[in-house]
Amino acid sequence: MPATDYQGSFLGRISIRRNQVMSMEGNHEQELEDLELFQKHVADRFAELAPPSPSQPSDDIPSDPILSIAWIRKLLDVFLCCDAEFKAILIMGRDPSQISKPPLDRLIPEMLDRDVKALDICNAITNGIEAVRHYQKLAEIAVSALEQRPFGDGQVKRARKALTSLITAMACEDKDGANYTRTWSFGRRGAAAAGNNKSTGQLRSLSWSVSKNWSAAKQIHAMSANLVAPRGAEASGLALPVYIMSTILLFVMWTMVATIPCQERSGLATHFPVPKQLVWAQSIIGLHEKIAEEWKKKEKKGSAGLLEEMQKLDKLGQSLIEFTDSFQFPAEDERAEEVSAHLAELGETCRRMEEGLVPLQVQIREVFHRIVRSRAEFLDVLDLNGKSSALAM
Amino acid sequence: MEKFLANLDSSGSFAKKKSDNAGHHHIRSRHTSDSFDIGKSDGQEKVDQQNGSSNDEHLPEEATLPDQFFEEVDRFVNDDHGSKTSEIPKCIDVSFYKMVESMIVKYESKETSSAKFGQNEDQDALFLESLKCISKLINKITTDQFSSRSSNLLSSLNNASIVLHRGMSLLDEEFRLLLDQRRIVLDSKTPRTPKHSSFNFSSQSSQDSDRCLLPDSTESNEDEGFPNFSTEAISNMNKIATAMISCGYEAECCMAYTCFRRNAFREVLNKLGFDSITIDDAHRMQWESLEREIASWISIFKHCYRNLFPGESKFSDAIFSEYPSISQRLFSELAAAVITPFLSFSEVIALTKRSAERLFKFLDMCETLNDLLTTIDDSYSKEISQDLTSEIAVVKSQLAEAAASIFCELENSIKSDQGRTPVPSGQVHPLTRYTMNYLKYACEYRDTLEEVFRFHHKNVGFDDAPNQENHDINEHLTEMPNDDGTPKKSPFAIELIAVMDLLDANLEMKSRLYRDPALRYVFLMNNGRYILQKIKGSNEIHNMMGVTWCRKRSTQLRQYHKNYQRETWSRVLKCISHEGLQANGKVVKAVLKERFKNFNALFEEIHRTQSTWVVSDEQLQSELRVSISAVVTPAYRSFVGRFKQYLEGRSMDKYIKYQPEDIETLIDELFDGNPMSMGRRRN
Repeated sequence: MPATDYQGSFLGRISIRRNQVMSMEGNHEQELEDLELFQKHVADRFAELAPPSPSQPSDDIPSDPILSIAWIRKLLDVFLCCDAEFKAILIMGRDPSQISKPPLDRLIPEMLDRDVKALDICNAITNGIEAVRHYQKLAEIAVSALEQRPFGDGQVKRARKALTSLITAMACEDKDGANYTRTWSFGRRGAAAAGNNKSTGQLRSLSWSVSKNWSAAKQIHAMSANLVAPRGAEASGLALPVYIMSTILLFVMWTMVATIPCQERSGLATHFPVPKQLVWAQSIIGLHEKIAEEWKKKEKKGSAGLLEEMQKLDKLGQSLIEFTDSFQFPAEDERAEEVSAHLAELGETCRRMEEGLVPLQVQIREVFHRIVRSRAEFLDVLDLNGKSSALAM
Repeated sequence: MEKFLANLDSSGSFAKKKSDNAGHHHIRSRHTSDSFDIGKSDGQEKVDQQNGSSNDEHLPEEATLPDQFFEEVDRFVNDDHGSKTSEIPKCIDVSFYKMVESMIVKYESKETSSAKFGQNEDQDALFLESLKCISKLINKITTDQFSSRSSNLLSSLNNASIVLHRGMSLLDEEFRLLLDQRRIVLDSKTPRTPKHSSFNFSSQSSQDSDRCLLPDSTESNEDEGFPNFSTEAISNMNKIATAMISCGYEAECCMAYTCFRRNAFREVLNKLGFDSITIDDAHRMQWESLEREIASWISIFKHCYRNLFPGESKFSDAIFSEYPSISQRLFSELAAAVITPFLSFSEVIALTKRSAERLFKFLDMCETLNDLLTTIDDSYSKEISQDLTSEIAVVKSQLAEAAASIFCELENSIKSDQGRTPVPSGQVHPLTRYTMNYLKYACEYRDTLEEVFRFHHKNVGFDDAPNQENHDINEHLTEMPNDDGTPKKSPFAIELIAVMDLLDANLEMKSRLYRDPALRYVFLMNNGRYILQKIKGSNEIHNMMGVTWCRKRSTQLRQYHKNYQRETWSRVLKCISHEGLQANGKVVKAVLKERFKNFNALFEEIHRTQSTWVVSDEQLQSELRVSISAVVTPAYRSFVGRFKQYLEGRSMDKYIKYQPEDIETLIDELFDGNPMSMGRRRN
């Protein structure tokens, strides 16, 4: 094939594409409208996640409590929706050269850098969910032991063992960093063995995919470090959606780190660097304040993670331990009733975890893969940009 | 005993259950005589040997045989007439529980850091059997619809549950001790437990003679010694696990097992040097270090699924021999937990910068994942094998995408290689060398690359359908069938041909940088020849490009050759043409002299320039010289022979500077890259 023909056709194709882009670029109003709509959608989507205020009577359908597994899954859905719309605005039908112009030439690489950090957080959270599943299994042992009718001292002891392990494991999870689960060892010998550290049955974190010195708190901090709201003329341009999407990414990752056990969370920032006057950010800021408050409480008390189901396990676990401490055979009817209410709730919580944790894990993988894909798409655009300019010479 | 068996028959249960129970029966009888030397000896031979060794047992006051307890429990449990059995036989309620409790106390009081289990097999068996009996009893009481549960029954249930839990706690603890490989390392140093071999991954310890491999594992592969437990320990763990699960403590048993096996794997991986890196780190890493990481990733990972997993699967099958589905679940969960970080790692790599030199490492990883897929078999639970398969597919697609884009990067770098300086002497262009060597190497990954591009074309195919690149592809697709009869080009062949076309186009463009058309053809010949030789030198590329393509290239090369000869030598031949020398039937001397002068000048000029040109391929070089010589020498010889007579004396020497033989020699000096050759001759 003669060289000239080939080159001609290739360059011709580029220039055709250019012309198409040019005509689209002219449509500035369309772009403003898209941006407007994006902000509105972001505001709406996050408003739906907000807990119903007590003044407003809630609808018939009970909403999922904030920070429950179901709620986090909704949050991730919102993230995926926003990301899709964001890419549609920023990439589709756009002249790649726009992305390499200031300020995007700086903002996009910064965003891609945040993406990389978010991926590590996704991995760490996936590990954390393993820990939560472990808690669930411990709680299930207690439930199945006490569900037996009639139950005797043996079942009570079995349940107590499981619950103590559960409470200790959840409490230790943060202090111990990587060691998210404790042994579930019985009897005096188990304790002795744990003491001399010889047969510690500790299930250390399986976070092989996260290196030892990695800290979720630091990662979040790094993600927010260069996140600055666009000002002046930039505030109405393409810098805005980049900022919005980065804020959403930061919020979603921060929420997951605060909620789900995760390597090294101490010192997790509670400050959210988003100006309060931004309309689209109102719901996010509201949610953030609420979660940050919970987080501060947790830090102070050293209680279990913010995940609603874990809080339940903690509360119900404590009260059931109290019950087992004072248990005397045969069970009095009153106490038995009281316990069966708690037990039913614990069972229900376990069921919700059983139903929700695997899909949540799958969804986090989806978020992971989405971030990977989005990142690749941006890189492709940047790449194409470099190439087309090289060819145009 | 007959009644016991008859009881079973009447219950009409499965044959397996029958044989199980028959087994129990056997165990029970043995206990009677071995450990608890109570009552009469049933005429068994072992009595004498064991007598005295177990006489110090703390026995319940009422010397009921354990067998009798078991029979009582069986009778109670198998009796479906609830009304009659609302009372627990008194002997069970008092003596049986006491007996079990005393056994527990005895176990608990053993002051040893090592396993308390396995010191007396028969006693262990009796203990486990007793616990199973109690569990059956509890199940009967809690699940049966008793008309009313008497306080006697309830308190018996309470006692039973306490004994069972205490027994289970003991087993759980024992199970953990046995599972703890780190403890085995310590124990192996003490002479008391010679059968425990050390947990030594590299298996170079001096205790190899003590090593007890898992059943079925061969000596040939040392690594199959992982997990490295003595057969004795395995048998004890198996007994404990069976008892725990059958008594309803499956959750605790599986939890302990998972804990320790995961930790064991973690340690092995650490020892092997698997160091997880974060995606963030990988992005900052230099390629050289990342390359090392990848190499070690591949070797460790291969070791895991080739050597460690089969051993692990056998191990869990041995521990949970009675519960194959539990074994399968636990093994596959464990394997998945090990595989997942490796998959994350390859995702990390796929995300890093894409550059040409990385292609082969990416392909190595793809191949490893393909290899892994072939090992995911029945030892994995269906659910997990599906999850893993799809997760691997995702990672593979990311690697494939990266590999494809790197390969396309090669195309781009060919396109964008627009240097303005021609390579001196018409030699093979570095781009040609680089591209061909790259392709040759790439063809060693042919199968993987086929997969990569099959995937890539599927993804991209719909994207920008009516563009010209696709048109090009279609052109290739509808090309004549290959010689071996395959009708269509494979996806990778299409890419390969695209690269070759780009290279051709680029070389064509580069050839135009030469002002001398003859040199241009030498350049084209050199590069064309290099390409053809590379392709013929590698079966893989040769087969992919096909014979037709190679034939076409050869024809093209011949054309360049002809063009070169025409450009360079037609003028020379014109000088020594016999035409136009005569006027009115006589040779015009002046014209003849002019012709000789021209020939000499022209030939010298050509010799001077073209001996600096380079044709590095020896065969091509000699082909060129031979073909030039074949045209020029005979023509010159005949010219000289015919017209020599018209020149005399001094003028003959002046005009016929070269003899035909000289011409031949000088032609042999062409394309040598030697600018001095003529000068050397001259002096």
